[in-house]
Amino acid sequence: MMLHKHDVLIIGAGLAGLRVAIELAEIYDTAILSKVHPLRSHSVAAQGGINASLGEDDSWEQHAFDTVKGSDYLADQDVVEILAKEAPRAVIENERWGTAFSRTDDGRIAQRPFGGAGYPRTCYAADRTGHNLLHTTFEQALRVGVKFYNEWFATSLVRDGNHVCGLTALEIASGDVYGFVGKAVVIATGGFGRVYSHSTNAVINTGDGCALALRVGAPLKDMEFVQFHPTTLFGSSILISEAARGEGGYLINARGERFMSKYAPKKMELAPRDIVARAIRTEIDEGRGSEDQYVHLDLRHLGKEKILERLPGIREISIDFAGVDPIHEPVPITPAQHYSMGGVHCDKHGMTPISGLYAVGEAACMSVHGANRLGGNSLLETLVFGRIVGQQIAENLRNAAEPSSERVDDEAFRIRQKLQELLLKERGESPSEIREVLGETMDRLVGIFRKESDLKAALSMIHHLKERFPNVSVGHVDRRFNYSLIRVLELENMLDLAEVITMGALKRRESRGAHWRLDYPERDDQKFLKHSLFTRIEDYVKTELIDVNLGMFEVKERTY
Amino acid sequence: MRMRIARSREGGKVTHYDLYKIDLKKGMTVLDALFQIQDRMDPSLSFRYSCRGAVCGSCSMLINKEPRLACRTQVAKIREENMRLKAFPAIVETPSGWNPDKEILVEPLPNMIILKDLVVDMSKFYDALESMRLWVDPEMNEEAFLQSPEDRKRIERYVNCILCAICYGSCPVNAENEEYIGPAALAKAWRFHEDTRIRNHTRYVETARVASGAPMCELIMNCVKACPKGVAPGGAIRMIKQNE
Repeated sequence: MMLHKHDVLIIGAGLAGLRVAIELAEIYDTAILSKVHPLRSHSVAAQGGINASLGEDDSWEQHAFDTVKGSDYLADQDVVEILAKEAPRAVIENERWGTAFSRTDDGRIAQRPFGGAGYPRTCYAADRTGHNLLHTTFEQALRVGVKFYNEWFATSLVRDGNHVCGLTALEIASGDVYGFVGKAVVIATGGFGRVYSHSTNAVINTGDGCALALRVGAPLKDMEFVQFHPTTLFGSSILISEAARGEGGYLINARGERFMSKYAPKKMELAPRDIVARAIRTEIDEGRGSEDQYVHLDLRHLGKEKILERLPGIREISIDFAGVDPIHEPVPITPAQHYSMGGVHCDKHGMTPISGLYAVGEAACMSVHGANRLGGNSLLETLVFGRIVGQQIAENLRNAAEPSSERVDDEAFRIRQKLQELLLKERGESPSEIREVLGETMDRLVGIFRKESDLKAALSMIHHLKERFPNVSVGHVDRRFNYSLIRVLELENMLDLAEVITMGALKRRESRGAHWRLDYPERDDQKFLKHSLFTRIEDYVKTELIDVNLGMFEVKERTY
Repeated sequence: MRMRIARSREGGKVTHYDLYKIDLKKGMTVLDALFQIQDRMDPSLSFRYSCRGAVCGSCSMLINKEPRLACRTQVAKIREENMRLKAFPAIVETPSGWNPDKEILVEPLPNMIILKDLVVDMSKFYDALESMRLWVDPEMNEEAFLQSPEDRKRIERYVNCILCAICYGSCPVNAENEEYIGPAALAKAWRFHEDTRIRNHTRYVETARVASGAPMCELIMNCVKACPKGVAPGGAIRMIKQNE
């Protein structure tokens, strides 16, 4: 069968992937593969905003400090420096491309306070910032002529020695598998929140790129650091933006108390997400939640006008999905999985240890968020590092070797055979049952509060599910638009990632940022001011600890 | 609760309807129900999805003869809803045997070619973005533009568009004329025209005024009634027509 050939192959068409492509499309033949149309990527759901020290009293150093402190000192400070320094440029670039940022009275880009930030530096387009940035960035990708393979599912990466030379992908419309030969492959597939059953993430966020990278021997990093967003809608886990608290919303328990005074007396509701999520979980666990399941986010005192102007999106979500109008009633909320700090191990230019393989955005771990990401820094990461990774690839491609078509062709053959076998299995395990048990296990045992016995139980359950997986039956043999097959392949990816997340959580015997161990409630810089690295070698996953790049900010106790 | 779902294995046209019994849960959306069917009853059912929170625009389909986002449509409340759309065949003709009191009817979004089951070919809808060059030709600078909150407000309604194509699927003109660009792309052209930051803003309305564009619109306003985001494309098209 025919092979597709491009200089650069990007997997994922969210903000990070698009921004890489825009940097490269005018100089190299650049293609993006995405399992959904680019506008359906999860970047679209980001609400609250994007950080940049535009204000006169603000500075990149303060932004960097807040980010490093927010990360519980695990972020690499040289990477954070780039993020903070480049932030204004990234925001202004997107504004010039047409993003309709909300404005101050004198016409400048408006900024709001956000959790863990010492200054109101979160630029926003109402509470639909991701939507605005994604549509704008996609428009620019069309303008510069990026080649899109929409509704293509990446099935494997192809490695030739210590070099990646392409990938294989399934065209969802036809069910055909093709090989793609490329000099550079970029993982920009976003996070893997759907490993948990309660997540703000889109249903498509299954971490495919991270799993593919792991399978060809690229290390994953800091996978145990999973962010639980404090305020997600009770029931559906749909995100209710931190902007709601940035604009002045209160968190209220069943006794009517603004309980954050106990947990972060200075920052209150605007403490970083890890701290607020633990506070809410504690309130619920100790019997001060409503119906023992949720607390309330009260916005009523903000008034109708402010809610309609600044928070129209979350008002719509509250009405559509919970039947609650925040103008008149408090919103029932509960923490749920939100963001993956971990991802494909790479340097500040997106380069992984395997030449030709790059990672960017939430799928990557550079690491700019360390143990806990601050709100407003993830959209920023995609645009800042999308550009930088693109520049690095442009540089590297000048001397890149011609990739091996033969290897790609062989791999495509192997994948076709694998999918055939999967489809032909008439009876077997139910994929949805394995998926549900996996999600429930991660929710219950690898959640906000962790302990050794739970993590061991989770790991053995994941191993058990992995043993069942080879017997899974898709139950449907049609090739065209076989979404049941896609969901089985996603499940395979999620099982691998869940295992690594849990291994990391078990090995890290300390509490740092979003990773809280009830049995090790202290941060242990002596042993664990380190990144964890996970590398698959044949059948097992090797774990090791590597140094954090410290720098201008001294490691201190973290209080708010 | 039962769901009657249009099926098309090979695409092109609906070949039959399948009936499923849904285990109704509190707060369940039509998208939740489709996943329940795919997971537990019929893995052959194809439909698009992504965010499940009414922001990505993937799951547009015809639900009880009205174009809606499946994720934003509550199963328990669907019978109370009525968009009062102007009729055209795809939203009027009902399959034999459908009992609206007991069954939710789910069909592919009209005015597009069916590829499989509830998946339709959106390429014509997307192609307009490129053929009309619906993007900013950027003039880069180290400073952001200034824009007053009032000027921003003029485009807010239009930038809220999620390109879900519900307007396209609800439009009787799109139903009759294959060449009609459709409401979303025209509203997007107006969004750029109205943006005070853009210098060559007339090019957008010029491209919207080609024969297959605004002149074909009959101001029926189904798009305004059906839009899940309050974009009101019909209003923009009226302005494009008026300012000629």
